[in-house]
Amino acid sequence: MSAEIQIKNLRKTYPGGVEALKGIDLEIGTGQLFALLGPNGAGKSTLIKIMTTLTRKDSGDFYIGGLNPETRFSEVQKHIGVASQENELDPGETVGHLLQFQGRLFGMTKKQAKGRAEELIRLFQLDSERNKKASVLSGGNKRRLHCALALVHKPAILFLDEPTVGMDPLARLSFWNAITALNGSDKVTVLLTTQYLEEAEKYASSMALIIDGEIHFSGTVTEFKKRVHPDENLSLEESYLAYISSLKTTEN
Amino acid sequence: MNTASKLLIVRGITKLAKQPSSPLMGFGMSLFFLLVYNAGIGGIGSLDAFGEAGYLAFIFPITIISLAMGSSAGAGQTLNADMQSGYFKRLYLSPAPRWILVVAPMLADILSSFLFTGILLAIGAIFGMPFQYGAWSVLGVLLLSILWSVTLCGFSAGIMLRTGQHQTAAIVTNAVFPLLFLSTTFLPRELIDAKWLLTVSWGNPVTYILEANRYLLGGTSPAAFLWIAFLIFTLTSAISIAYALGSAKKIKV
Repeated sequence: MSAEIQIKNLRKTYPGGVEALKGIDLEIGTGQLFALLGPNGAGKSTLIKIMTTLTRKDSGDFYIGGLNPETRFSEVQKHIGVASQENELDPGETVGHLLQFQGRLFGMTKKQAKGRAEELIRLFQLDSERNKKASVLSGGNKRRLHCALALVHKPAILFLDEPTVGMDPLARLSFWNAITALNGSDKVTVLLTTQYLEEAEKYASSMALIIDGEIHFSGTVTEFKKRVHPDENLSLEESYLAYISSLKTTEN
Repeated sequence: MNTASKLLIVRGITKLAKQPSSPLMGFGMSLFFLLVYNAGIGGIGSLDAFGEAGYLAFIFPITIISLAMGSSAGAGQTLNADMQSGYFKRLYLSPAPRWILVVAPMLADILSSFLFTGILLAIGAIFGMPFQYGAWSVLGVLLLSILWSVTLCGFSAGIMLRTGQHQTAAIVTNAVFPLLFLSTTFLPRELIDAKWLLTVSWGNPVTYILEANRYLLGGTSPAAFLWIAFLIFTLTSAISIAYALGSAKKIKV
């Protein structure tokens, strides 16, 4: 499997001396649904911000689809889709307009953008909302639209930073159906951060555990569970909590 | 220019057209100045110091200046609205060059300033204002208006981007406002008694844009003011754009 995302010794220190990333090495293969897990403040969002060109790294290298974002910015932007923690919607525009405008920004013709908007409206079950302004949508529908916008240009890599926060169970289910369909049929590589570990366990093929700016584990979910408790069949959440607790015990 | 950049420029103009409070406020303020000053003290235009052009041609430049002052916060407010909603981050992640995210709303501001200046000139013409050099006068006034507008809205957008607070977009207007009174705004140099005010007015850039406009409209000021004004405001426009673009690099998305 070729690496869609390659990260080599990536470091980032924020003003004030907080070391957010302490030399991250990671490879994520094409078509993987990869979960990046860790406690709050571990460095997950910083890592995603650097990979999506929102924040600059201090040192190290990373490649997105084999491209260096520092020299091939525009190509990388077309290669990735990002749905971050907060909704990024223009409240004064309608669902249909926002989706079409996003398509046009990524170089689609008017006809292509309209067609793609319709596909995503169906995929994310936003049919009855298409003419409503983003400001009047329910929280769940705002979240769906936010995620749909990240997919308009059919990115090869999708960064999902806690994407299902604020969604009700039904919306979460339809969201994951859409994502797994893209991951399965279109081989979209997905890098996910989430605090809902049952989602990671259910949908992710591989994972990495980042704590305090360092990668503690990288491999499959099953491998992680076996590493924490080789003899017991624990859930990912139980294994994760056990691992974090063991670290605290060691520190003490 | 790529499609994404063009779309963002159109979006900036559309946003301003949908929420035109800022340019309309500037236009209203300008019209108010024009009507009130001309009606209230227009009679002094018969003094020799005003020449044959009368008070209307003398006071008109202040309406052009106050137009951009009233509307210069528009770009900053558009940027602020996008940042508050988070939509700026989505645009930031598009393939559009990042500088266009800042320049697009500025262009909308400048376009609106250009249009409203045109309307003001038309109103002035109806009231009988002279255009000393015909179409060249109109062109010159419009060009000076654009440079003045670029200067104000660039600084306004830059300050807003650095502070992240929409209230600060009006700082530039507040900072420039006193300069209006430290110049030959209401009376020609010959009728101002205070020596200190005359001295200060030479160092005040507003003086040069006022007098340049007076050269173009009534022909009451020397041509040198026009060239100095173009020089000053081309320079301030360049600095202002550089400041706005530099501020864009400091945004934390």
